[in-house]
Formats: sequence, C-alpha cells, structure tokens
Amino acid sequence: MEEKLMALKNEAIAIIWQTKDLADLENLRIKYFGKNGELTNTLRELPKLEITERRRLGVLANDVKTAIEHAITETKEKILGEEKKEEWFDVTKPGFKFPLGHLHLISQTIAEIDLIFAKIGFTRVAYPEVEWDWYAFEGLNMSQNHPARDEWETFFIENLFHQKYGVGLLTPHTSSGQLREMERKKKPPIRMLNIAKCYRRQSDVSHAPMFYQFEGLVVDQNINITHLKGTLDYFVKEFFGKTRKTRIRPFHFQFTEPSFEVDVTCMVCQGKGCRACKEGWMEIGGAGMVHPTVLRNGGFNPKLYSGFAFGWGVERVLMMKYGIPDIRLLFNGDLRFLNQF
Amino acid sequence: MNILISDSWLRDFLKTKATAYEIGQSLSLCSQSVERIKKVGHDFLYDIEITTNRPDCFSVYGLARELAAILPRFNFPAKFNAGEVAKIQEPEGKNALPLEVKITDPNLCPRFTALIFEIPKLGPSPKIVQERLEKAGIRALNNVVDISNYLMIELGQPMHTFDYDKIKGAKMTLRSTQKEEKITTLDKQTRILPKETIIIEDGEERIIDLCGIMGAYNSAVDEKTRRVLLFVQTYDPARIRRTCQLLGFRTEAASRFEKGVDPESVPLAIGKALKMFEENCQAKIVSRLIDLYPKKQKVKKVRLDLTLLARIMGLEIPKKEITEILESLGFLLKMNDPSLITATVPHWRYQDISIPEDLIEEVARIYGYNRLPNTPLPVLADNESQEKFFWEGSIKTALKYWGFTEITNYSLIDENSLKKVNLEPCDYLKIANPLTEDLLYLRPSLLPSLLRIISQNQANFSAMRIFEIANVYLPQGENHLPDEIKMFSGLYTGHDFFALKGLLENLLENLGITDYQFATSLPTTSIFNSQKTAEILIKGKSIGLLGEINQKISHSFSVTSKLIGFDIELESLIKNATKIKKYQPLISFPPIIEDLSFVIKNKIEVAKIIVAIKSVDRLITQVDFLGSFEDTQTFRISYQSRTKTLQSQEAEKIRNKIINEIKQKFGAYLK
Repeated sequence: MEEKLMALKNEAIAIIWQTKDLADLENLRIKYFGKNGELTNTLRELPKLEITERRRLGVLANDVKTAIEHAITETKEKILGEEKKEEWFDVTKPGFKFPLGHLHLISQTIAEIDLIFAKIGFTRVAYPEVEWDWYAFEGLNMSQNHPARDEWETFFIENLFHQKYGVGLLTPHTSSGQLREMERKKKPPIRMLNIAKCYRRQSDVSHAPMFYQFEGLVVDQNINITHLKGTLDYFVKEFFGKTRKTRIRPFHFQFTEPSFEVDVTCMVCQGKGCRACKEGWMEIGGAGMVHPTVLRNGGFNPKLYSGFAFGWGVERVLMMKYGIPDIRLLFNGDLRFLNQF
Repeated sequence: MNILISDSWLRDFLKTKATAYEIGQSLSLCSQSVERIKKVGHDFLYDIEITTNRPDCFSVYGLARELAAILPRFNFPAKFNAGEVAKIQEPEGKNALPLEVKITDPNLCPRFTALIFEIPKLGPSPKIVQERLEKAGIRALNNVVDISNYLMIELGQPMHTFDYDKIKGAKMTLRSTQKEEKITTLDKQTRILPKETIIIEDGEERIIDLCGIMGAYNSAVDEKTRRVLLFVQTYDPARIRRTCQLLGFRTEAASRFEKGVDPESVPLAIGKALKMFEENCQAKIVSRLIDLYPKKQKVKKVRLDLTLLARIMGLEIPKKEITEILESLGFLLKMNDPSLITATVPHWRYQDISIPEDLIEEVARIYGYNRLPNTPLPVLADNESQEKFFWEGSIKTALKYWGFTEITNYSLIDENSLKKVNLEPCDYLKIANPLTEDLLYLRPSLLPSLLRIISQNQANFSAMRIFEIANVYLPQGENHLPDEIKMFSGLYTGHDFFALKGLLENLLENLGITDYQFATSLPTTSIFNSQKTAEILIKGKSIGLLGEINQKISHSFSVTSKLIGFDIELESLIKNATKIKKYQPLISFPPIIEDLSFVIKNKIEVAKIIVAIKSVDRLITQVDFLGSFEDTQTFRISYQSRTKTLQSQEAEKIRNKIINEIKQKFGAYLK
C-alpha cells in the first residue's frame, strides 16, 4: 500500500509537471481525484486496514494527496503565466470574413431622416405612387391649366381615369400625401412624415426619373412660420451637423402661402462662397405654410387651423452629405458602387 | 423661368448706391432668387429665377420697382423711376392709314392696341440696344424688330411688328380656330395648329399671326418694309399655354403671355415703343391709335386681419411697419378698424394677390424671414407609431448582415424584360408619355430587374447576393388605382436552395414567426423552376415563393450561373411579425438524445416524417433532420421530461413507438 502510494505520487507529479495544456491537466485531476480516480480508489482501501496501519498510511495518503494537488496548482499557474513560444502565430493572415452586405444609401438616409423626425413626434406614412390628378395637383390648388404644373414634368398612365379625381399619373411629389393624411386623420394634430418614390420626366446628373422625397406636414392650432423655421433648423443640424445654418427665402408653390425655398450653408466652403454653391448657400428644397384652399380640400377649417409643409429630395440631401456627383449612380445597380456604403 | 439683365439697364429705373452684389443678396432674401452675378466689362449681369406667380418681375422695370421697396430695408436708400406714359400725336383724318380690326371674343384678347409707322429704311439698332439685347441672350436683328424684343425685356410686354402692306385689305380678324389649321411662322416652320388656338387672319382669310407666340412668315417685316404695324396686346394666358403645350413650342413672348401680362401697363409700353421708333428708325405715325379694351380690369381689394397676420408669422410687428411695407409695394391702404386693413391691389399684382395669406406673404418677406426666430414644435401628448417601417428596417438589416446588398431599381421597366419572364405587357400599367422605352411599364414583379442587375455585375463579381424591397403595381380596372404591393425579393448565385431556405427560416424566426411551412409549390409562376420551388406559408397562407430560377429565363438575361431566388409579399410577412416572446421555463432534467436512421424507399417529404415522429409522444421535444444517404434518412431525436430524469427504458418505449409509426405510415424501417 505504501509503495503503491509512493509510486502513484511519483508518477503523478512527473506527468503533471510535463503537462502544458489546461485541458490535459483537468483530465489528470479527474484521473487521480475523480469518482473512480486512482488516488480515490486507493484511499477507499484504507478502512480495510488495521487501526495503526490505517493511521500511519492515512497521514501518508494525505501527504500524497496534498503533493499532487500542489503539483496541479503549480502547473496550472505555470501554464497560465507562460505563453506558448514554440508556435508562430501570424496575425497578418487575413481574417475569416463573416458575410456582410450593404444597405442602399437611400435606405440608410431614410432611416436617419425617419429617426430625426420621430424624435419630435412625426408619424411615418407612405401613400400611393400611382395617384389621381386631384391628390397630386387639383386638390393642391393647381388647376388644370396652371403654368406651375409645367415644373412637375409628370408621367401619365394610359387608360386610367376617375370621374371625380381625374387622370391617373405617377405622383411627381410627396405633397400628394398631404390631402391623404388629412383625410386619414380627420382632425388635428397632424405631424406627418411621408417618404415615398416620386417620378418626373427628366434625367441628368441631378435628376432621375424616379427619386424619393420626404414630406413633412404639420397642422394644428397656431402653427406659424417660426415653427417651420425651428423644425427645418433642427433637421439640418441633426442631419448635416451642428454648425450648419439655414435660411428661408421667398418662393412660389401653389399649395403653400407664403412659400419658401430653404438654403443650408455650403459644406464645402462653410458659407464663405465657392463654386459648388450660390454665394455660400445651397438650396435644399421647398417649404411653406399650407394654403387655406388645401386645408379646406383636406377637410380642415383654415380659420381654426394652420400648418406648414416641406418636401425635399432624399437623394439631394444624401448627395450633399456623401459628395455623390451623379444621382443616377444610385439607381444603376452597380455593386462596385453599392458595396462602398 | 430665368431672366438675364444687366446692372446698367436696371439702373435706368433704379436710383441707389447699393452695389450689384448688395442688390443681388437683398433681392434673393426678399423676392426673386439671384442665382449668379457675372462681371461683364464695367457692367454686371444678373441671372435671376422668376417664380411663376410674379410675371410683374419678369422685366427690368418690374425688378427695379420691386427693389425700390426692398433695398431701404437693408439700409440702402433707393428710388424707382417709373417714367411717364407718352402722349401720342395721331395724324388727322384722311392722313391716317386704315386698319379694320374685328375681335370675335374679347376674352381671347382683353386688350388690343396697334399703331402704324412709316420708316425710311431698315438698319441696325443703336449700339446700346444691341448690347443690352445680347447680354439678355437675344440676337439683335434690325432697328424695327429689336424694339419689340428690347421692350419685352425692359417692360415684360411682348410686342409684334408686321409689314402693313402685306396685310390684305387692311383688315384683321382675331378668332379662335375651330378645326386644325396651318400656318408658316417667321422661322419658316409650317405648323398645324390645334383647335382653339388664337390667330389673326387678314382680309383674304390668310392667317397672319399665331397670337402671343409668333407671327406668320407671310406678313413679316423685311428689307423692303416701309410701313410697320406695331402690335401691343394681352391674351388669355390659358389659351396661349395650351397651344404651346400642344405644339411643343414656346417662345420668349409666349412664356410671358401664358403667365399673364398686365393690360393696364399697355399704354406705357406703346408710348415707349413710339419713342424708340421715332429715335431709332426716324419713324412717323401714320395711323390713329387703335385701343380695344372693352372690359377694363377691375380694381381688386383684399382685407387683412392683423390677428391672422400675427398668427401665421408667429410674431406681432408694429402696425406702422406693416402699412409702410404694403405701401412701398404699391398697395393703397384703408384702415377699417384697428385690426383690419383693406388693401387695394396695384394693377401689376392683380393676378397673384387675392387672399389675406397673399398679403401676409408680402409683409413677412419684406419684413425679412431672417428676422423671424426659430421655434421648436410643442411636445405632443401622444404620437402614433407605424410598426411596418420598423419591421421593414429590421429585415433589411438582417439581410445586410447575412451578406446581401440592397438594390434600388426604377419602378419602370421595358417591354422586353416582361416578355422574357413570360408576363404579358398588356396586362400591366403603361406610361402614356414615357421618357425612354426602357421605362415604359410599371413593374408587376421585382425579379426581372434583379436578373438584369445580376447580369450587369457578373463580369465583376463571381458570387452575388442581392435583394430589393419595392412596390409592384397590379391594375384594378380603368377607374381604380392599381394595387401597390410591397415585395421583398432577392437573388443568390450558387447552387444551394437549402442555404437560402435556412436563411429565410432564420428570418422568420427572428420576426417571431413560428407557424410557417415550406410546401411543394404548384407551378404558379414560370420565373421559377417548377420542380425546385417551395411555397412559403404562414398559418397555412401563402406569402411567397422560394426556388431555383428557371434556367431558360436566366439565360435570356445572359446570366450564366445558377440562381436561387425568393419573391415574398412584405406586408403578409410583416403582418405576422411580433416583438412578443414568451418565457419558457428552463428544464432542469437532462434530455436523452439519439440518432435514428430509417430506410425509406418511397418519396416521402422529410417535413412529413418529422411531423409524424413528433406526434408520437409528448416527451419528444425536438426532431432534427441530420441528412440522407441513398435511401437512408437520419434524424436526431430528443426525449425530455419536465418533471424527472428520463430512464433509458422510457426512451426505448417511445423509440419503439416511433419505429412502428414510421413503418405503418411510410413503409420504412430502421436501419
């Protein structure tokens, strides 16, 4: 028994000292101290011995146990404290890439715009892209022969006509959502953010036949021009950065009165004036106070309520932000471009 | 519409010390946008965008008048030099040449004026006239024609000159065409005029003028002309616009007439013209002034409630400042009571000022939008949230991190692409006035566009994973808007149907959807290979398809690699999505897990076998398909109890039940 214990001790310590791996060490611990471990089994024989022998060997067994435990602890610390030197670990080898795709810049921008306006209580909506003339023009105070219509180079749909609402067309702006939203809500407050595809018959570096607009509409009691200015300034600072300034200038739209053009300080020259901008300012889009006729057409009494609206191009703001020179890059589906973002 | 005018011309009518750049900035902030200022020699050239509601600003004169109201607000004293209406010395009795004018409908031409001059000969205009015209982008021609162009830019009043001797019978009838008629215009183009075009014919019923747009070639001033008939008119803007649109032809004159020309300003224009004829052509008047103006433009009054003004501006400004602003713009004011102003609209603003809000705009813009504060919107008590945009975003993000690139295609597609995927173009919405043939139909499916994207990119990329979320448009008859259905479609190059299926399963589970199935699909659409396509069902209802793209179709798009694709109705998918997840108590007793392989000779769907195994006993908590080799299918089965540790004898009992069940149902046996 005594020899057995000593042999076990010597063997165990020798093996343990050579171990270089924590998992192997754990296996050795189980080998000696586990339920059916070698030391455990040896100790099970102790009660069978007579009392003096049992006492003497008990002390010895305890020493053996302590020694092996000690060896394990020491070896563990040695392994933990030591870095493997024998293996060359080349960190410059390329990593294994988990799949990573790309969201379209328009999606990324829409998500950003959505979040900025959600923070100030705007509700995101989407309304039809194929629309009746009433929602796109007539109901927005733009009668059939109005010259202002020429600026909306509209696509018309063959064989689509409604007795009351007129011809079918591809909506040339998100403003068509204004009447739709007023019809849906029926009473104030309205804080709409309509982001949708729009269509116009034009194609060049800054115009695509299909594009996105985001339209804000606020209708409530006592909404005034200073709210419009405050809201646009908030958006510009959130989207383009805190240092950017905005201004509004007179403009003309049939569906707002007064109407404005909104400018942002140029990001290239920071408002000093350069080739990319107009005297330090860049046009960002139109806005205005909702025309009383439009409120009335939407079922709201202009004597009680007022509102403002703005409709800007998603691509326009993202092109300004990311410095993209040609809008058509966004739509031609070239993965070499799309995978950059 | 933009107008180019030179600074020196502007200063003929505007006395101010403000520099060109100061003028440009002030005008942009309070009125029309000055897009560029270019230095030309000692002069400056303004490029100004004129909004459609302000035809009164579409001239040197009108801009000077506007600036005289604006510049003082920026501390630049300014004075507008309006000039006087010249008196016309008409010749007496017999000496006056005759011209008989008949206007069939005064609505076509609210004001008609004409004068005849005798000139010694045609020649060049004075240098200043030539230079100013050229700076405005108009070619100088001769001393007669240049006068009409010059005054159009200066006053905003288009004019026309005829050779009096080419007008047969000295007779003119202004009428609207009843049927299509022909005219050869000054530019020698023969045009077929649409019905309801305003024209003038002479005593021999020859059309001599396409009114408001361009004169006829047959009555044009030429080298031999000695007697010039000058025309200064206003026309019904809607008619002019309609004709221009139908003809697809627009002139400088037409673009002014279609926005409306002020009939009250006609005498000023004809007086100026007379003076220029005398000075530039040594002309002599040889007719009486013809001035047909049966319905004089009414005086328009608009009332402004000052409380409304303050409500819309968000600011109360002193009444004195309000009245000063309006008066500087030419309004005549009357105070009815302390908070009500009645403003008489100046004749040159007759068209665009009609309602109180129009006056509010006048006050606010001249007061200065830049002087108004920025006010944040008040906080709303409650706001709606639209869940569908949340889910759309989370689907897109998931796809991104599984390696897919999002595509945005035009919603419009060419005829050929539809035919390639066996869709009948005539079943879908067509653009009546397409920009190009590539953008002709509204897409009924996203897949043809995505196939094109794969085809275009295959030279640069060996493996591609793309998707798009966009509407398709399904016609609902001639007097209903189409159904716009948002589709979520994608393509994946490579062979593995099951990789994409696994991805969709993950996506469904990520959306909190558990009750879904992929069922063998009937061949509903020929874009997919009918043998290798699954219908995706949620709660038994189809939401879309997953499958291999029919190779014949991918070949027709010149795609060489095999494609797996999916085409899912987004709304049907999102409708079932939920953020709610329910806690299941963790089981503290270990499962018994074992693999069973069955030899199955018949073609039995794996999904059916799994369902059959699961239904054998409640203690079967999970059945996974591990794979198949020849006829052998291997399943991993977990047995687990919530209340105790299962003994192997209990698992054995269930295993025997499974073996029995599979044998009875499918005639299969344990390997």
